[in-house]
Amino acid sequence: MTETLPAPPAPAGAPQRRSRDARGVLDWVALHSIGLALGLMFALPVLFVLLTAVMGDDEAFTSALWPSEWHWENFALAFEKAPLLKYLGNSLLYSLLATAGMLLSSIPAAYALAKLRWRGRDAVFLLVVGAMMLPPQVVAVPLYDTWSSLGLTGTLWPLIAPYFLFDAFSVFLLRQFVLTIPQSYVDAARVDGCGEFQAMVRIVVPMARPGIAATSLFCFLYTWNDYFGPLLYTGERPDQWTLSLALASFKSLHQVQWNLAMAVTLLIMIPAIVLFAFAQRSFVRGITFTGVKG
Amino acid sequence: MTLDTAPPPVKQVRRERPTPPRGPGGASRWARRAPLLPALIFLIVVTQLPFVATLVISFMRWNSLDPTNRGFAGVDNYLTVFTDAGLRSSVVTTVVLTAAVVLISLVLGLGLALLLDTKFRGRGVVRTMLIAPFLVVPVAAALLWKHALYNPSYGLFNGVLTWIWGLFGSQNPPQPEWISEMPLSAVVASLVWQWTPFMMLILLAGLQSRPMDAVEAAHIDGASPWQVFRYLTFPHLRQYLELGGLLGSIYIVQNFDAVFTITSGGLGTANLPYTIYQTFFQAHEYGQASAAGVVVVIGSMIIATFALRVVSSLFRDEVRS
Repeated sequence: MTETLPAPPAPAGAPQRRSRDARGVLDWVALHSIGLALGLMFALPVLFVLLTAVMGDDEAFTSALWPSEWHWENFALAFEKAPLLKYLGNSLLYSLLATAGMLLSSIPAAYALAKLRWRGRDAVFLLVVGAMMLPPQVVAVPLYDTWSSLGLTGTLWPLIAPYFLFDAFSVFLLRQFVLTIPQSYVDAARVDGCGEFQAMVRIVVPMARPGIAATSLFCFLYTWNDYFGPLLYTGERPDQWTLSLALASFKSLHQVQWNLAMAVTLLIMIPAIVLFAFAQRSFVRGITFTGVKG
Repeated sequence: MTLDTAPPPVKQVRRERPTPPRGPGGASRWARRAPLLPALIFLIVVTQLPFVATLVISFMRWNSLDPTNRGFAGVDNYLTVFTDAGLRSSVVTTVVLTAAVVLISLVLGLGLALLLDTKFRGRGVVRTMLIAPFLVVPVAAALLWKHALYNPSYGLFNGVLTWIWGLFGSQNPPQPEWISEMPLSAVVASLVWQWTPFMMLILLAGLQSRPMDAVEAAHIDGASPWQVFRYLTFPHLRQYLELGGLLGSIYIVQNFDAVFTITSGGLGTANLPYTIYQTFFQAHEYGQASAAGVVVVIGSMIIATFALRVVSSLFRDEVRS
């Protein structure tokens, strides 16, 4: 990987100067070709999806890379083949409600963990980190059992409701962000007679806005992408399916229309792309803040 | 945890937090905090109850198809987990899969981040192209790899092979059955493709927060690019590498979509999440599924602690100096 090292500005020393132009051109060519090759390597599969999505039914099954005719109507056809709007509604219900619930429950928890001092706080924080590392499959058995005795399996509520109580990863992320807000702001609010709740709503929430944005984005993407959860609880109830679940079965239900499956794949990507385009900066900041400002 | 023990960056002064002003009485302090208590109690209950329940069930004999025969089973479920060849191999698969994906995507991500940290024309386009895989819904990515790339008759890989061989005038290019010939590598490759952009984003943020004056000073003092990388950039990136490794491990240990979609757990690629799903849904062995789950948690904690310790011990001397 040594060739991908950043080419530093050549040292100002005189002996280097003569070979600098030649080396500069070489570096330029090397950088551009490596960049292009790697970019293509990662983007090619997505491009391939696009090209397959607009192929005719038969052509999609050949090893052709470039469509001979462009069937843009495939995107509209996909909507006729499956109740995509229904699935989209379910996906949005899950992701939006979960994100809203996460904000309601995790901001106070993060505030309590970052800005209040109380006995056992560190122990509780360790529990949060522990819960964060817990794969959802591990606790699936008792949770499924509980939800099924409440009669709620077959709906998305077993997935949404817990977010209104707690989400370990979000609490962790938000706590790390709230920690970076100087304690003196919170102390000043207290001196001025704010209760903890007021201090949280008026001081900490506005200052932690980038962190809250990043956490919401994470939460939205996680639930939007979730496959295991919807499969576990709604696998046998197609009217409750989310888009990711529907996509997986689209392939087996409409075996012959591979191009349409690819069109659906692209359609599902759109919300993630739009969100990421808007929130790229806070997303990156959100990730890096978590670990680096311990 | 380990995240907190990372030595703070030089710029950081937040650690010396002033001791909090002693409030009035304890009672009124608690009164002010009262609105936050429900959240806290929920937090403790909701994080820990399901896991405690899982622990309890893991010691029980409980098959949902046979509801009368339910009771305390001692460590039987754990014995099954460790003696059953299928379960044991799924533990190994989980470890191999997680370690391979995290390490490969960290290395590739580092290379890409270093590339994107330099200025060149079209950098924005390359970066957008590189991030694309991260925005594909994971189950869609798994489907894409299985059908669009690996498929022997109409997949991209064999299509490219045909095209390259065609360039040299050959009529019979190799057309491997990717998934059945190299099942685990097939799963690893698809996950690496998805996770490399994530690692790249973290490491790029790390690179861009480097103190550039130190790098420039090193250049002026005649340090080679390799020396700058080895003694300045890399130690600075250490905590970003740890962070990427940690977050990646958390998510990849629980990966289900790729294994479920690409190989359906066949051909020795069943990892523990998949096995738990199967034990639960097809065999209806709740007790065994829970015991397997407990093993995953303990296993991943051991791996995470061990891996982080190894990584940080490798670079400790540079950080101190």
